[in-house]
Amino acid sequence: MFKAVIIGGSAGSFQVITRILHSLPPTFPLPVLLCLHRLKHVRSGFVEALSIKSSIPVIEPNDKEQIRPGKAYLAPANYHMYIELGNKIALSTEDPVNHSRPSIDLSFTTAAQVYREKLIGIILSGANRDGAYGLKKVKDLGGLTIVQDPEECQVRTMTEAALKLTPVDFVYNTNEIIKFLQKIKP
Amino acid sequence: MIRYEIGIVDTRTVIKTLLDDFGYDFRDYALTSFKRRLEQVILNNGLRDAEGLIMRLKNNPEFIDQFLYEVTPETTEMFRDPSFWRLIRDEVLPEVSRGASSKPRIWLAAFDSGEELYSLAIILKEMNILNNVQIYCNVLSEKTVNKIKSGRLDPKDIEVNEANYQRLNGTNKYSQYYTVDGNIYTFDSSLVENVTFLKQTPLIDNEPGAVKLILFRNQAIYYNQLLQEKMFSKLSEVSVAGGFLALGVKETLENTNANNKFTVFNDNEKLYKRKTV
Repeated sequence: MFKAVIIGGSAGSFQVITRILHSLPPTFPLPVLLCLHRLKHVRSGFVEALSIKSSIPVIEPNDKEQIRPGKAYLAPANYHMYIELGNKIALSTEDPVNHSRPSIDLSFTTAAQVYREKLIGIILSGANRDGAYGLKKVKDLGGLTIVQDPEECQVRTMTEAALKLTPVDFVYNTNEIIKFLQKIKP
Repeated sequence: MIRYEIGIVDTRTVIKTLLDDFGYDFRDYALTSFKRRLEQVILNNGLRDAEGLIMRLKNNPEFIDQFLYEVTPETTEMFRDPSFWRLIRDEVLPEVSRGASSKPRIWLAAFDSGEELYSLAIILKEMNILNNVQIYCNVLSEKTVNKIKSGRLDPKDIEVNEANYQRLNGTNKYSQYYTVDGNIYTFDSSLVENVTFLKQTPLIDNEPGAVKLILFRNQAIYYNQLLQEKMFSKLSEVSVAGGFLALGVKETLENTNANNKFTVFNDNEKLYKRKTV
């Protein structure tokens, strides 16, 4: 019933993401869209680091790349990553939003508009408020929303901002997020 | 960031107005980013919604230049991707400027807000060949031309730009290329005094011929795949044999018809070289 998972994170989210990607079945039936804050001038290394333990391929997509199930798409450094109708990635160099490029709000908002109630949105640990508005859009358009338990987050600003703005469906720790994703059937 | 969001139907209505009333064809621009640009224009100008924008365009035809100015995303950074500019300086420009009987032509074919142009001009100046080349620069609005000629760029985060220049290992100090008065940065406009500005429509119909280096970075991302195809094909026709084409680092000729017209010169920086035949 779901068509995509989108995950946003910033400071303190790298290990959580790594564990999630490691725990997904290699036949995971959905695409995983990753919008993580990162250094804008460091273009290489991040996707490689995430790939090491991931059980599904992690790709840093080119513009207009087709989104396919069972793959993770990492927003490239210094670009916004939009989800375009037709299930494609669209990149943008427009101004940073919330001091961030990629901005989690923009990835989440555009994904919500394309996938609507068939989207799962997850916000992880982070040190700014980017993502709160995006998660609200996911919820408003009928998607399922999860926030990492702030008690578990290295930095809780982002998750708390999201919880303040939206009554989310689940507040989960990392293990619970993993269990939830492992149960998703094609 | 609670803000007005324009729907797809309204977006199409604006696009139709731009085509019917002004002859500007945005139909094959990428939908998500174009919607966002329209929202930005509506916000900047205190308009209520798409209808307000359409009324403004119809009632004040001179507003079109401001519209074109604001609908174009700003480049936001000087020397974006320093490793790209190093490659341009160390490998591309020496070849482009070598042994030419007439001034080799460089075409900034993307709709830049000035940062790419000044970055290029600074590098050419540091190589002492700024006056040995002819630069053509595409512009969509008159306001952009005036902004670029005045040197009043707004490349946002000064520390990012300074750091980019450091990574480029430029020969001078970045700060010698601008003066600062409060928050206003004025770049040395003599850098661009010999640039030819080409007023364009959104489809770029006015090309210089026989170009040896085309910079088209982060422009095709604002197109759908149909328009990307058309534009890449156009660029392949304008390029001389052995000429260079630079795309954004996340843009590619792969899976397009133009792919067999070029070889990959540097894959990381998405720099291509036009084949001889």
